[in-house]
Amino acid sequence: MKAFWRGALPRVIAGTAIIAMSTATLASGGVTQAGAAPKVTISVAYAANTTFDTTPLGLTWWTSVKAQYEKLYPNVTVNLIAVQGGEPDFLTKLALDYHTASTAPTLAQFPSTEIALYQSTGYLMSLSPFLKNSTWFAQYPKVIQDEGLIGGKIYAVSSGENNVGLYYDKAILRKAGIPLPWQPKNWAQIISAAEKIKAAEPKIIPLWVDAGTSAGPNGAGYGILNLLAGSSTPTIQTSSGKMVVGSKGLLQTLNFFHTMFSKGLGAPTSQLFSPNNAPNIPSADFKAGTLGIAVGANFLAGNWTKQVSFPYWPQASTAMGIAGLPKINGGGYASTLSGWDYGISSGATGAQATAAFNFMNVAQGQTNLINAGNWAGWVPPVQSDWNVPLYTNFAAPFNKEFGLLLPSSSELPTSANYSVWVQGIEEASGTLASKPSTTGAQAMSQMASFITNQLSSSEVTTLP
Amino acid sequence: MASIPMVDTVTGPSMSELWKTRRDKSRFQWSSLGLLTPAFALLIILFLVPMGFAVYLGLTNLTLVGPTAVKWGYTGTQNLLRLKSDTSFWSSLWATGIFIVGSIAGVVVVGYVLASLLMRARPWMRMIVGGIVVVAWMMPAVTAGMTWYASTTGGGAFATLLGTPNTNFLDNNPLLVVTIASVWSMTGFAMLVMGAALRNIPSEAIEAATVENASSWQRFRMIILPLLRPTMTAIVLLTGLLALANFSLIYIMTQGGPGNATNILPLYSYQQAFTYNNLAYGALIGNVMVVIATIFGVFYVRITARRL
Repeated sequence: MKAFWRGALPRVIAGTAIIAMSTATLASGGVTQAGAAPKVTISVAYAANTTFDTTPLGLTWWTSVKAQYEKLYPNVTVNLIAVQGGEPDFLTKLALDYHTASTAPTLAQFPSTEIALYQSTGYLMSLSPFLKNSTWFAQYPKVIQDEGLIGGKIYAVSSGENNVGLYYDKAILRKAGIPLPWQPKNWAQIISAAEKIKAAEPKIIPLWVDAGTSAGPNGAGYGILNLLAGSSTPTIQTSSGKMVVGSKGLLQTLNFFHTMFSKGLGAPTSQLFSPNNAPNIPSADFKAGTLGIAVGANFLAGNWTKQVSFPYWPQASTAMGIAGLPKINGGGYASTLSGWDYGISSGATGAQATAAFNFMNVAQGQTNLINAGNWAGWVPPVQSDWNVPLYTNFAAPFNKEFGLLLPSSSELPTSANYSVWVQGIEEASGTLASKPSTTGAQAMSQMASFITNQLSSSEVTTLP
Repeated sequence: MASIPMVDTVTGPSMSELWKTRRDKSRFQWSSLGLLTPAFALLIILFLVPMGFAVYLGLTNLTLVGPTAVKWGYTGTQNLLRLKSDTSFWSSLWATGIFIVGSIAGVVVVGYVLASLLMRARPWMRMIVGGIVVVAWMMPAVTAGMTWYASTTGGGAFATLLGTPNTNFLDNNPLLVVTIASVWSMTGFAMLVMGAALRNIPSEAIEAATVENASSWQRFRMIILPLLRPTMTAIVLLTGLLALANFSLIYIMTQGGPGNATNILPLYSYQQAFTYNNLAYGALIGNVMVVIATIFGVFYVRITARRL
């Protein structure tokens, strides 16, 4: 994911050529016959530079789905709106587009963390009537089905999910005397392995966990929130909607960061705070042999494929290992789960809404869904797809492993206050990285102070 | 041919009296209102109305998304009270103050030093150095930000040149580094203006002071500085305004971080409006910036008016 910064001129040229070919194929396919059905036009908005691993791969996928759809429904015209920019830019532009009826896209793909915000604004239509007879939606695991569930109705459906595991360099762990395959049972074993790596290879980075604010709200989802998910108190937002600014789990998580950075086991701030796509940096570090272990998202493995080449590393399948991120004291794995979802605008007419849902049907077809998963670095939401060769052979063996880890994952909250809360915990993690003498308690106090100041004391709480 | 009345230079009014007389006369003409109307209308439509609306927005609960993105309204002093107790705002205001004062001081001092050194330099050297500084001034903020980011982080040019490649100057001293980058990007302007002002200082005054055994410090303090003061005042005020509005450079280098170390008011306003979706509160912070800019503007107008 996050291909915004990559030098993409050759890929743009290739993508343009693919579009030209797709258009030619479409034209020769003779799909321009107008049926008796009335003409309908729908607009489909998507993030051009952030969802797929490269911009041309995204362009190829969307234009292909549009071509397939317009062939099936010749009375419908699809206007693809490729919103340029990074994820924050996309979210701002989409929010502004939704604000005016004439610019609101009929169908849009957006991060799952935005669903409740858009629904509470009245931008989204309930999809429940459409989903009653959907075969693909019935195959979603419940945790993913519930991603767009608000007040008993479903307002958005997942097109792919990101979850997190532990990547490790087998050669470096072997040199540090750590038995392979490595599967730590608890957090203490992760720190212990990192210490052994530091002792054996002082010049390399023992352990990468995202910290700081440079990657935006998603950075925490690929880093610190996974540890929180495995702590003794993983709650971020209570059932009454209050944001948690103090808990045993938060302290355990921040203490883990304190231990990691105070012992010199973490990544340097020049990498962690880099505005240049920080969550993807471990892919390059692993290839360069300068990183031992990383708490990383599933898309890191896709970066090593030829299609993505960020960087291309065919040996990764044998040189690298993957393990589940254990909970603090064992007893299973933990990971956050965040996806990109489709939602239909509440301003769509009946014909447009039907047409938009039909577009989703085409997009969620098995090949399209798996291609999206492979090219965007997602785990497909349909459980049976996790064993399909088209998915498992891409970024093997990692794709399959992340599918197996997905049921252990938990969704991030979706609310207006979450954007403030996540900024608070990212700033706290950044402080621990840049000032390792800061204790976990001090970082938690800083976080609580920031969030309480931004929200209000009535909107935050502490848990035991 | 009509005769031109001559002023009796012996018995007529003195020049100062003439000026005084003219100033006392009312020069208002009703017909000027018609001529001023288009400009006044543009001022109202393009400045006062949007400004007024921004002030109003700052007193509402408008958000980018969420229930109050559609159904929003006036909330009185609620945002003002929040601003008063918002510690992030006050730390942002403090960072803004340091950034502006640092930028002004750096630009004035470095601009003067460069201008006076270039006065003495050989023409070819003046062209090269002057050209480089002006290029830095004309460089887009995005390029300047990327250049300084790449130079000051670990593994960057400065750390490598100093033999400590892992030193991260930007993260260790973020506000200092972005202020230096700001000075770097604006010094060309100060150097050009001060260079022109230095060339207009009569050499006779300097020579006379030298003959009177005035030290170089005395020559600077007694002759050069008073004559440069109007130029320096203009540079101080314009640099202050440019620094206040310097969003791009810091956003690219640090995005306001680490923590809130470089989160100056333009970034905090953007963060509130588009990261936290609080458009109204972001607008209120923007209004605070307008007040600060207005204070600068009033000083500038008063000082320049005094010189006329």
